[in-house]
Amino acid sequence: MTPAISVAGLTRRYRDHTALDDINIAISGGTITGLLGRNGAGKTTLLRILAGHEFPSSGSVRVLGAPPAENEDVLRRLVFVREDQAYPDIKVGQALRAASWFHPNWDSTLASSLLDDFGVRANKAVKKLSRGQRSALGITIGLAARAEVTLFDEPYAGLDAVARQVFYDRLLADFAEFPRTVLLSTHLIDEAAALFEGVIVIDRGRVVLDAPADVLRGVATRVSGPCLAVDALAGGRPVWERRRLGSQASVVMVGPLSPDDREQARSSGLDLTPLSLQQIVVQAAAGVLAPAPETSFETERTCA
Amino acid sequence: MPEMAGLDEGTPLFVQVADRLAGEIADGGLAEGERVPSTNELAAFYRINPATAAKGINVLADDGLLEKRRGIGMFVATGARQRLLARRRAEFTQRYVAPLLSEAARLGIDTDELFDLIKDAGHEREGVSL
Amino acid sequence: MNTWVKVARYHLVRPANYLFLLWILPFSFAVGAVTAGRSRGHDAAGYLISFFIYFGVLGMQTIGRSLPFGLTLGASRRSFYSGTALLGMALALVSGLVLTALQAIERATDGWGLSMHFFRVPYLLNGPWYATWLTSAVVLFALFVYGMWHGIVYSRWGPLGTLAFIAVQVLVVVAGAVVVRFEHWGVRSAASGSSVGLTALGLTAVVAALAVLVLAGGHATIRRATV
Repeated sequence: MTPAISVAGLTRRYRDHTALDDINIAISGGTITGLLGRNGAGKTTLLRILAGHEFPSSGSVRVLGAPPAENEDVLRRLVFVREDQAYPDIKVGQALRAASWFHPNWDSTLASSLLDDFGVRANKAVKKLSRGQRSALGITIGLAARAEVTLFDEPYAGLDAVARQVFYDRLLADFAEFPRTVLLSTHLIDEAAALFEGVIVIDRGRVVLDAPADVLRGVATRVSGPCLAVDALAGGRPVWERRRLGSQASVVMVGPLSPDDREQARSSGLDLTPLSLQQIVVQAAAGVLAPAPETSFETERTCA
Repeated sequence: MPEMAGLDEGTPLFVQVADRLAGEIADGGLAEGERVPSTNELAAFYRINPATAAKGINVLADDGLLEKRRGIGMFVATGARQRLLARRRAEFTQRYVAPLLSEAARLGIDTDELFDLIKDAGHEREGVSL
Repeated sequence: MNTWVKVARYHLVRPANYLFLLWILPFSFAVGAVTAGRSRGHDAAGYLISFFIYFGVLGMQTIGRSLPFGLTLGASRRSFYSGTALLGMALALVSGLVLTALQAIERATDGWGLSMHFFRVPYLLNGPWYATWLTSAVVLFALFVYGMWHGIVYSRWGPLGTLAFIAVQVLVVVAGAVVVRFEHWGVRSAASGSSVGLTALGLTAVVAALAVLVLAGGHATIRRATV
């Protein structure tokens, strides 16, 4: 089955820097994928290109099988919630009306209900909305459009934690009823982690991680305790990070832990903490997905 | 966040969902022949992706613990509870007895003393529950 | 509903935004009435110019203000351009009609009882009603799409780009004037009623041709606009 979004060799160069460098991605239809990475990593540029707001320098982009730029057949089945959407001098209700003409699956009942959830009044001028209310408007349009491909670029600016949870809940609920392809870029990773089926991490214009969320959960565990015991458990296995303080050590071990491993950890007084998705992404973005150097603590004489 | 419903960071979410449901069946909370929550209900409850919830259900279905009734949903299969309890019994030694023994060894408690400890604690428990 | 029409409707989703058009005409008329009262029979037509210029400004604003959300809604740049031009044409036709009606009333009341000639522009808007309508609509539309083109240039290349754009236009106009002098087409003699010059309708045709040129230019320029 053709992916809903597929990108090959995508590069976007500006005069003074390269925003995207040889990106290759395939996203299947009917999934929620997280697009993660630091500020300035290239997430927004990628989303803008997928939505036809920007043009690639080279490479191919296909959304629903065709290049999206200037292609209304694709654009009508797509909705893009930008972080920095500029609106004309209109009211909230008028923005929704205009959106309803352009999106064939538009549901105005859902739109009204979302506005209520976020406490935004339809007859208020968009220019007079607070940052959070503008984000709520963007989210409302993004969800009520029920577009086959729904792109969110950090859509929650100005929304407090409660409102963000409302967004996640409404997204999940509507997604469950009307499955679609969702690509959500966020830097609040742990909040949204459970929504994702797939995770793509971009750093400095390149994809550094592209894996199912399931695989990433529990892929890395922090093992801490007496340094010899740590070494006994982690010795010979890929490790992302090593830290020492006196006779205590802490490493980030990669790979699944068997029940025997857990028993060994328990009996030797080691603490096992799985890395959260956010921590894994931070490691990925810092380029630390390669194993740490091979030194073991045994060689350090102070490890008693 | 799913952590609020007790899901943790370590194991894949779908495994945890499957474990939770299995636990419910083993404890009798979900009786045989009873309908299991739907994918969407589970997704909303745990605040996770419906595909993840579906995967968890499929794990149990593939195991024969759940059966699908077309058009209605997933139901607890007959004998599911027995099978789960039997499985847990089989795992009991590895999950509980072995750690108990190794901790006892760590503290220098020999097998006889351990035996007495268990007897006393067990009788006390049974006495209280009477 | 075809995309062009959707775009035009999108611009009008808040009608008040375009009702300003209806306000500026009586406002400048009132100003003209007050100042013209001092010198009877004076042609206060200069105040009409503010209305025409406003059309250009309107065209420019459609880009800066409405293109970003327009793209988000899913219109292609070219459809947005065409739909907006369609709006401009509709507004120009309606406004032209209003001007024509006001001109008719002015003539009927002999300058509103004050011998004012607000809606008369010698040579250009001095003929039969249908000529007034055609000429004003064409000029308004040309200004609108001209404003649009400037809006696009500004959006793509900023103030410097706009300056360069204006510089090029000045060069073209100067070159055109030099050519006209050589050819003795004598457009300037029209004021003296000479039969060598272009008729009002002829000039209207020239403006229409320019508008088509501007339409093509803007359409080509918007293709790579980003917001």
